[in-house]
Order: sequence, then structure tokens, then C-alpha cells
Amino acid sequence: MDYFVAQLAGFWGAFTGLVLDPVTYLYMLSAMILGIVFGALPGLTATLAVTILTGFFGNKVPIDYALIALLGAYVGAIYGGSYPSILLNIPGTAASAATAMDGHPLARQGRGGEALGLTTTASLIGTLVGTAALLVFVWLLLAISSNIASPEKALLALFGILLSGTLMSEDLAIKGWISGLIGLAMAMVGLDPLLSEPRYTFDWSYLLSGFQVVPVLMGAFAVPQIIEGLRTARPGEMLALTGRILPHGRTILRHLPTITRSGVIGTGVGALPGVGEDVAGWVSYGVGKSVGRDGANYGKGSVEGLLCSETANNACIGGALIPLLVLGIPGSPPAAALLGALKINNVIPGPTIDPAIIMRVVAIMVLASITMFAVGLLTARLFVRILKVPPVAFLPVVMVLTTIGSFSVGGGINDLYLMLGVGAVATLMNAMKYPIAPLVIGVILGGLFDETFRRSMLLSDGDPTIFLTRPMAALFLVLNVALILSQVPALQRLLTRRGRVLS
Amino acid sequence: MDDKSQLRARDFWASLGLIALSGFFIWQTTSIPLQATRVAGVSSVQFYDSAAVVPYFIFGALLILSLILLANSIVSGDAARALSGAGIGLDCAEIWRIGTIAAAMAAYILGLVPRVDFIIASGLLITALIWGYSTGQAGRMGLAAGAVVLAGSYALIRHLPQSEWNKPHDDDWVALAIWILLTTWALTRPDRNRLTRAMPLIAVIAPLILVTAMAFGFRQNVPNRGGLIFSQIERTYYLDLRPLWSQ
Repeated sequence: MDYFVAQLAGFWGAFTGLVLDPVTYLYMLSAMILGIVFGALPGLTATLAVTILTGFFGNKVPIDYALIALLGAYVGAIYGGSYPSILLNIPGTAASAATAMDGHPLARQGRGGEALGLTTTASLIGTLVGTAALLVFVWLLLAISSNIASPEKALLALFGILLSGTLMSEDLAIKGWISGLIGLAMAMVGLDPLLSEPRYTFDWSYLLSGFQVVPVLMGAFAVPQIIEGLRTARPGEMLALTGRILPHGRTILRHLPTITRSGVIGTGVGALPGVGEDVAGWVSYGVGKSVGRDGANYGKGSVEGLLCSETANNACIGGALIPLLVLGIPGSPPAAALLGALKINNVIPGPTIDPAIIMRVVAIMVLASITMFAVGLLTARLFVRILKVPPVAFLPVVMVLTTIGSFSVGGGINDLYLMLGVGAVATLMNAMKYPIAPLVIGVILGGLFDETFRRSMLLSDGDPTIFLTRPMAALFLVLNVALILSQVPALQRLLTRRGRVLS
Repeated sequence: MDDKSQLRARDFWASLGLIALSGFFIWQTTSIPLQATRVAGVSSVQFYDSAAVVPYFIFGALLILSLILLANSIVSGDAARALSGAGIGLDCAEIWRIGTIAAAMAAYILGLVPRVDFIIASGLLITALIWGYSTGQAGRMGLAAGAVVLAGSYALIRHLPQSEWNKPHDDDWVALAIWILLTTWALTRPDRNRLTRAMPLIAVIAPLILVTAMAFGFRQNVPNRGGLIFSQIERTYYLDLRPLWSQ
């Protein structure tokens, strides 16, 4: 009990400090509006919003304010994706794909306003559930994480890359793993972290410090998005936003069990390393369809179905921040961009992180969810208008934004060359259905994996059983092996046959 | 032919590329010391904490996965289609679209941004991309990308050394002239629409706000401070405006 009281007292201190600072609102409102716009415009994503703001605010304003901008944009963009899902049947972000299943049929029935109001409320509650989990579990996990040493960290980093590769791949899981390995390989460039041995620098001094995170993020997420979006877009048939937007309290109360369940699922999926909001939305939708009272009507305009995906994708944000703050392993692609911002500010997540930063993150998340709710309900009819803007009108501006954002982080023109190179590779990978997120997570976690793996071997005098003799390390090793084996086709067929026999 | 067949056919080429890449980097890794040596009484690394051990693991795994991908492509029978353009799903219109965008981006980053005023370079790029790609006409795409490539190539060829990048040069004027010509051409065409009419405004305002916010708001480095327009803005800011509020 004392633990929870202490947590709440700490949160309250951080929250009052945040809301009493007038500058907070400047950053929060502008980031929230930008985030909703990025989420609402098909062709722009939450990851791109956080990445671009990392380039702008990363190391240019104090980290306290940079976090307001980045988290505000993150929350706003995940929510903003629901606008085109409901009114155009085109998900604004991958996270809102499941929202379109029931949101658009509801809008077709003339209940677009109600659907938007419900998603706004579900997003608020989802974000708060994820944030509550962050507040409670981050400290418990931080206490445990002080016992997590190099062997566990190395295996967990590998697990994050493998899991992200497995779940983010549209085609074969092996392609996700290859993407993660390419990211890991990119992280090997520069001086190695233990012995300062130069690797793959080809006598170019710029490469001695390795690949910088921000240009890699910009190249991987922005450039393919721009190339993909610059085409003649036939404007979809936009449905009118009719009816009352403010949801009825009774409707929310009736669906509270669904909202709570979806919030828990979203947080849980978010806490898995490297798995994003889109997976959270679909998992929650699938569970809802199986266990929900209204499961048979999912896909036909079910309010329950709408709430399942929209609560979960926002709850995922809080969940994704848990492994980020505890272990430095991003829980989702936008969290990977957030980690980039922390890195360029020399904030090292893990047991040694300043507790004030965690409390500030929680306070910002709560304020962001309230701001999103207010902005969403008050200005929904205004935001709907931007859905008519064709991607070709704003993507060239995004290109200029990424260029100046990348340039100003520190590496100058060389960072732009890096951005262009990574962008070319990412575009090629997109064309061949290789997921990009594992590559970025590989780049971010590569240094950690290299350092902790070799340190483990150094501590054990080259004895690899160190990964088996420590209980937590053994557990992570089993998880890694199980994940790889689960994707072997022969084993998959065997398991399916066994399943059929048992059933 | 379905998408899966095309993907497997593309996997054939991708796996060959990845095999070559991992082979090259495994060869590169051999130059990093792996075995323990003792020079002048000082022991170097053991094999297990060498800087080469993790790269060997990564490129080895990449090689194995590439071989599996290649085998999968061959076993599925779709590798046989990899030699034909149709087999891997080559779409000439799409290649032209992506190729022209890539050429414009490369000319912008490699030629224009380091050498030409950022507002002019970005204005030209924005104009070219909005006008060139809003209708899907191949001719327009070529003309738009050609304008950026022309300006970028001129700057790149005329002022290649880094020592010349930040000085005011004729490349600013050339890029500005191409930008004005392209805008005039777009605005005088009979098929102009609302987006074309809004285009010059977006092309001027977006880079202007971005570069001034970055330079004077966040006080960050911006590309080509000696550019035609930015140097005038900077001069006006420090000599005329700044003294007003510093007093």
C-alpha cells in the first residue's frame, strides 16, 4: 500500500510541476495538433511524427520540454489515425487499421460523429490504462532489472529484434530477421564499444563514431513513405461527420469491461519489445471478436469492435514505454524514435535512469491524454477538413523537414548522405516486403547487444554456458530458441497436426 | 501470376545480393584481430571478446538466412521466373515514378543542399514534386525531376570542392531561375488546378519558416548560411532586428 501511495505522491508532484508551467501548453498543444494531423493524413505515420520532432527538438530544447513534444505527438498521432479510418475507410496509421473495420460501417449508418466521440473517449481511457501500468510496473521492473546483467541484456536485445522481425513481417518471418540483422550490422560500424577497434569505416573519419540514430530514423521511416506517397491519389469517398460527437456516459459505462480488457491487452502487447500499436489493435480486436457479447456483429458497425482496437492502440503507448525506460529496448517503432531522442540527450534508460524523468514521462502522458480528449472533441469537425488534402501537397514539405532535421542534429551534410543511403535501402526493402522497424530496432540495440554479449564472454573467460547457468538468461535463451523454432515450417506443420489430433 | 510468386521471384535476387553482401563483410571482418596475440609483452584480445566476434555472428547468420531464402525461392518454383521482368513484377511506369523521385532527391541532397541557398533549393524541390507527381503523367515527372537534376548537377559540377560550398555563387541564381521557370510553366498550363495555384505559396513559405525557425529559434546550424536569400535574412536579423530588442 505504501508503495502505491508513494507512487501517487511522486506522480502528483511531477504533474503539478508540469501543469503549472505555462510553457508546457505551448509544446503540448502544438505537438498534439501536429500529431493528430500526422495521424489523420494517410501517408504520414506516428513514427514519422516522433522521428521528425526528434530531429527538431531532440537536442535543441531541454529534455523536459522535448519529451512533452515527442509524447504529445505520439499520443496525438495514434489517435488521429482513427479519423480517416472512420470517414474514408483508409487507416491514417497502421495502428488504426482495425478501427476501420467497424468505424467506417458506423459512419455509413450516419453515426460518424458518435464513432469519433467513442474513439476519442476510448483513446483517452486506453492511454490512461497504459500510463497507470507504466507508473506501477516500471518501478517493479526497475527493481528486478538491477539484477539483469550483461548475459540477460544481450539475450533480451536479441529477443527484441527477433520478436519485432517475426511480428512485423507481412511476408516470411525470415525477412523480418534479415531486416533486424541488417540493422545490427549497421550498428557495428565505427569504433567498437570495448576496445575502440575501428570496424567497417573504410578510412572515412565520419564513420568512426558510427551511424547516428536520427538520420537512420529519417531515412528508414520518412524517405520510403515520401516515395510511396508521391502518386496521384484518387480522393476516397469521405462520409459526412453527422450526429453528436460527445459520447453518452451510459454507452461508455456499458462498454467499460470491453474498454478495460482492451486497455490491458494493449498495454501487454506494447510491453513486448519491438511490437507496435497495429499489432495491439488487431490482437485486441481478435480477442474481442472471440469473447465479446457482440462478437458476431464485428465488422458490421459494432461499437464494441471499434472500442477494442482504439483503446488497445492507445494503451500500447504506455506499455511500449515500459521496456524502453526499464531496459532501453523500445516497445514499438515510435518508441524507437523516442529512444533516439533520449540517446542524443545522453539519457541512458535502465536501472540508473533518473527517477524524475520517469515521473515526468508519466505526468506528460496523463496531460497528453487529457489534451487529446479536449482537442479531439472540440476540433474534430475542423480536423476532418484536412482529410481532403492530397498527400502530394504535403509530402514534399515533409522531405524538406526531414532534411533540415537530419542536418541540424550534428553530423551536417554527412548525416544527409547517410539519410539518403538508408532511405534507398529501406525503399528497396519495402518493395520486397521486408519490414523496416526491425532494422531500426537493430541499429538502436546493436551497440547494446555487442557490448553485453562480449562482456558476458569476458566475465566467463569465454565459457558460453554463462547464458544457461543464470536463471533469467536461461529463460531468455529459451524464449529466443522457441521463437526461432516456432517459425520453422516443418515444426509449424507438426504442431498444427498435434493440435488437430488433440482437438 | 499472384503476388506471392512475384515475391518469391524477387527473393531469388534479394538472396543473391544478401549472400554477396554478407560474403564481402565476412571478408572485411577478417581484417579485425580475432585470435589472441602477444606483442612486446602485451596480450591482445581473446577470441571471445574480440571486436570481430559479433560481426562474424551477424554476417554468418545473414549468410545462412540468405541461403534459406534462396532455397525457399528455388523450391517454390518461382525462381525460374526471376529472369523475366514480368516474373518479378516489374512495372515500367512505377520504375519511372520511383526513379525520377530518387533522381530529384539525390540531386537535392548531393548537389543543392550543400551548395545552394536552402530556401531556393527546397522551393525548387517542393515545386517539382507537387507539380510533377500530382497527376501521374510520366512527362511531367520527367520534366519536374529534370529541373531539380539540372540545378543540382550544375551546382555539383561547378562547385565540387567543399571549400566552395558556403560561398555565394552563380549556382544560387541558376537554381532560382529554374525554379521561376518551372513555376511559370506550371501556372500557365491550361490544366492548372487549386493545388498548382497553391504550390508557389507552399514552396516559398515552408522552407522560409523552417530555416528561420531552426536558425534563429532553435539557434541551430542550417545548410549553406552564405546562400543568396538566407545571408540577407541573417544580415537583417543581426544588424537591424536583433538590436531593436536587445536595447
